[in-house]
Amino acid sequence: MTECDSHAGRCITCGDVGVEMRVLAIADGLARCDADGEQRDVEIALLDDVGPGDVLLVHADVGLVKLG
Amino acid sequence: MRFVDEFRDGALGQKVAAQILGLVDPGRHYKVMEVCGGHTHSIYRYGVDDLLPANVELVHGPGCPVCVIPMGRVDDGIAIASEPGVIFTCFGDMLRVPGSHGTLLDAKARGADVRMVYSPLDALRIAKAEPDRPVVFFAIGFETTAPSTALTLMRARAEGVENFSCMCNHVTIVPPLRALLDSPDLRLDGFIGPGHVSTVVGARPFTFIPADYGRPVVIAGFEPLDILQAIHMILAQLAEGRCEVENQYKRVVPYEGNRRALAAMAEVFALRPHFEWRGLGFISQSALRLSDAYADLDAERRFSVPGVRVADPKACQCGEVLKGVIKPWECKVFGTACTPEHAIGTCMVSPEGACAAYYNYGRFVTSSGGPNL
Repeated sequence: MTECDSHAGRCITCGDVGVEMRVLAIADGLARCDADGEQRDVEIALLDDVGPGDVLLVHADVGLVKLG
Repeated sequence: MRFVDEFRDGALGQKVAAQILGLVDPGRHYKVMEVCGGHTHSIYRYGVDDLLPANVELVHGPGCPVCVIPMGRVDDGIAIASEPGVIFTCFGDMLRVPGSHGTLLDAKARGADVRMVYSPLDALRIAKAEPDRPVVFFAIGFETTAPSTALTLMRARAEGVENFSCMCNHVTIVPPLRALLDSPDLRLDGFIGPGHVSTVVGARPFTFIPADYGRPVVIAGFEPLDILQAIHMILAQLAEGRCEVENQYKRVVPYEGNRRALAAMAEVFALRPHFEWRGLGFISQSALRLSDAYADLDAERRFSVPGVRVADPKACQCGEVLKGVIKPWECKVFGTACTPEHAIGTCMVSPEGACAAYYNYGRFVTSSGGPNL
């Protein structure tokens, strides 16, 4: 997922890519999230009441939507 | 995987395709534009167009930010990247977009410190790790990506990261759609609206399309069944004489969008009076710059940039591809002089560009009209 390369994968901005990630923990206003074993720190300022276990739609390390 | 496997069910896809066949008027030719590069990629990757009746044509729109970046802006980025000491960061696709004197990768080969990042937050982390060097993030993308840049700049301000700045190339989705609808050489019957852009802006900004131009819009997700269902919904509107904005992607897109994202964008960005789009020319109020409140973080104010407009290479027909006037394989350099490995035009650089998507997934298939290269 960290690849943003024309040959290896897809460009997150051109592809409007959203990745479903599960929140593991929260620290310093960022959520440590996991998708298929890969972990990223995700900005959660756009969402209400995010906690461990929540599933977010993440684009460029920003949570855009909390998924049901 | 949740929200994925059920939307890639081939048998269900065949059922939706049969329903689409039942909706179309055999004597009419339908042109439906998918606005977003993510949809273009999925259509070619999963062969969605091969499931459609011959008289339903998908037209690929301008929704790939890398594809519409003009050469002059690439030159400006390279000028900043070539400044002594600068660490220049950008998404991977931008590295290979040609300017008038090569790409950012070429600049890197000449010694510039150009680094690929996954997000603006990654660029900010580099700035904090290298406090003695100026770090510039080349921001690009539609309203899906702009909040990420906005929040990162707000964080940079709050944390006092003074060596971080942004060269802003964010664009907005509505002005190019209006330009396309005003274009005399393109007749469209409906639009597949961008799914993740709409998580930010909501559905309301697209209401001008049915209201002013009498064309239906269906906001759609990115899996093949999402796209097929959206096409079904558009054709159903046409068959029933309806014309409105519908939301196929309700599991993700709220009608009102994300108010906090819009507020962050309003604080950090301001509209540019005009901005050049490759293939579409200058479009008024179609791009963002940093607002006056964030001018001190604007790389174009910290560094000198040429700011010169550069014409596209004569052989390149990206403009006609971006407007849907020609198909990728109808470009005279497609697959010969212009390939993903040696791209002349931007549509061949990004995997979401219509040319690259067709080259990677569709060039060996002739049923949709393309050559068997």
